[in-house]
Amino acid sequence: MTRYAMVIDLDRCQGCRACVEACKVENNTPQGSLWMHVFRLEEGTYPSTTMSFLPRPCQHCDNAPCVKVCPVGARYKREDGLVLTDFDRCIGCRYCELACPYGVNVFNWSDPAEHQYLDWDDPDLPDEVRGSVPPWHNPDHDVVHGDEQRRTSGGGHAKGVVEKCTFCVQRLERGELPACATTCPVNAIIFGDTDDPGDSVNAEIARGDAFDLLPEAGTKPRVHYVGGKHPTRSAREIERVEVEV
Amino acid sequence: MRRTWTLTLIVSGLALMAISYFGLAAPWGADSVANSNPRMPFAPLVFVVGVMLLFGSAIVYELYGRAPRGGGEE
Amino acid sequence: MATTQPIHHRELAPQEMLGRSRIWTLVMGLAVIGLVLGIVSYARELTGGMVVTGMRDVGIGGGATWGLYVAFLIYMMGVSFAGITIAAMIRLLKLEQLRPVGRIAEILSVVAVVLGGLAIIVDLGQPLRGLVNLFRYARPQSPFFGTFTLVLAGYGFASLVYLYLGSRRDAAVLAERPGRLQWLHRFVASGYSDTPEERERHDRASFWLAVGIVPLLVVASSTLGFVFGLQIGRPGWFSALQAPAFVTLAGVSGVGLVIVLAALVRHAEHRSDVLTPAVFAWLGKLMLGLLFVYVYFMAVELVTATYAGSEADADITAALLTGTYAPIFWTSVAFLVVPLGLLVYAALAKRWSIGMLTAVSVLVNLGALGKRYLIVVPSQTHGTLLPYGEGSYTPALVEYGVVLGLVALGVLMIGAFMKALPVIELQREEEVGQDA
Repeated sequence: MTRYAMVIDLDRCQGCRACVEACKVENNTPQGSLWMHVFRLEEGTYPSTTMSFLPRPCQHCDNAPCVKVCPVGARYKREDGLVLTDFDRCIGCRYCELACPYGVNVFNWSDPAEHQYLDWDDPDLPDEVRGSVPPWHNPDHDVVHGDEQRRTSGGGHAKGVVEKCTFCVQRLERGELPACATTCPVNAIIFGDTDDPGDSVNAEIARGDAFDLLPEAGTKPRVHYVGGKHPTRSAREIERVEVEV
Repeated sequence: MRRTWTLTLIVSGLALMAISYFGLAAPWGADSVANSNPRMPFAPLVFVVGVMLLFGSAIVYELYGRAPRGGGEE
Repeated sequence: MATTQPIHHRELAPQEMLGRSRIWTLVMGLAVIGLVLGIVSYARELTGGMVVTGMRDVGIGGGATWGLYVAFLIYMMGVSFAGITIAAMIRLLKLEQLRPVGRIAEILSVVAVVLGGLAIIVDLGQPLRGLVNLFRYARPQSPFFGTFTLVLAGYGFASLVYLYLGSRRDAAVLAERPGRLQWLHRFVASGYSDTPEERERHDRASFWLAVGIVPLLVVASSTLGFVFGLQIGRPGWFSALQAPAFVTLAGVSGVGLVIVLAALVRHAEHRSDVLTPAVFAWLGKLMLGLLFVYVYFMAVELVTATYAGSEADADITAALLTGTYAPIFWTSVAFLVVPLGLLVYAALAKRWSIGMLTAVSVLVNLGALGKRYLIVVPSQTHGTLLPYGEGSYTPALVEYGVVLGLVALGVLMIGAFMKALPVIELQREEEVGQDA
């Protein structure tokens, strides 16, 4: 049985945001929609301040509050650990967004087709980009995935639905790692199968300094952190990210 | 007959509610794909029909067997 | 077997006739304008997407994703519960003194449920899909299941049944005289003949209907509280007091609106004969009790949050007491506490003036609406558990337009009902004989 998990090494992360970009390109999220987010945090008062980066994908919780509250079962938990959203069934009530303690959900407030970075229907487009890839329209997002055969990957499908990080379910099906893990230049994102004893992700999780975000929420996240500390309540964001839709 | 019909509606309404809630709708649990789907499609509609039967029994109780009035009857 | 014979009734007094007063026409005219505005606003939202509202994602969106629509919706659901409570109290506690306002309360219940349901629809990103998928896939584990099945479909239908059965007798009286609406009166009367056994049957059916509706009301109102109270990810929402506080504030705002409507009917339809100060006094005492309990809950929540709240709770409380939301917070508190003082004074002095009660009811409802808004929004902008920074939310004109349209629709529905059937139950002949 496969059970995916992710470990993020905060000691290695240097805030380049390549993971944020890679996620966006792989999943075709529209403007104003960021599935991966990297906090830049400052703690303490000058002159004893510390600065750290905290990448925050969806935590794919084992006790996911978003799954519990979805009124129509569009948000669901797979046996392999992934928490996915069926964008054909989502009615856009945004309850999952409010139930999530981590704030990972993104709602398509406007028609995403009008907010893509490129006009995919433009016949001159291939010439303009001169065949370079990326950016590209990922055909994986138009098909169903998994044994449950639901359309769950990619962003920007329709206005009025909620989307979030999928651990790149379309890439996992092909035996590849999520885009963020593949792209990270310093290998700060480790991804693997916890049911496979030989997988390196297990060694990382077993490290003495491993912690989860918001453990008191009881969500049992499948994303673990090493090489750093849990942000305290007094942490503040430098480089505040506030998207405009 | 009035009482019989009323009681029948009440009992079937409650039965539909119980069956659809515990047996036909999506089971409680946040850990598997099965928990996101109802065991029978439109199970919530069955539940709603059950609630309506339960309270609709009052209409049956009052209206059952009334004589038709000239010119107007529902 | 009931025989067909005319209902034994007396001539309707002039004020019992269904007519049209100038106030009614004016109010209906304004309501039509409001409804048109609402439709135009919602069309804007459908075509442009919900980006035309002021709502934005929590977290990196820096906003609130549930705003005015949800505040209005929980307010309306709250109002609807109280309406049928009064009707149930008349039946179950045999409070005959409240009978004159029974039908007003029932109408308010039905209309408020409809408005609440519509408010959910306008808040959905995919409304048509929502209508189908809720019936097809709704999951009992989600608190929305209770809202959807018990409140809208269950409680709404039960209230409608109660209203229909209770209107049959009056409709039968009116059906005997020619008029434009005779077809409607015959339909609603559904062959009612005013024999003692039929009356007894109606009393029995209404009694048991009320017995069934009251637990439904408590469960349904609690699930609405659970929508908020079970979310550990939202400090400020996560509280065991949410469900009871919801039920109580529902009672307060609902009774208040019944008082306002009754006062309007009394004035516009000249019904001071049945809508006596004693009736209003009773409603005032009911509201006093509920308001007292709610202010107590409010105080308990505030003390708990300031004494020992988590840091996230402290951030939200600070925003409420001294921050961005302070104006709304303190105004809402004043609109609830000052009326409480006035009601206590009225109870002690045994002086219940209808004017004072109406003013108190308006204030209390404004306060309730403000409190509903404060339940929904601050936990989103100031209560994120990860360090996202403060967000902000201001409702857009489109949102005000849609809410105005919904209120206008409610006014139109109530107005239409008032002209179709007597808004106060026609007194039975025996009762009139006793009063004379």
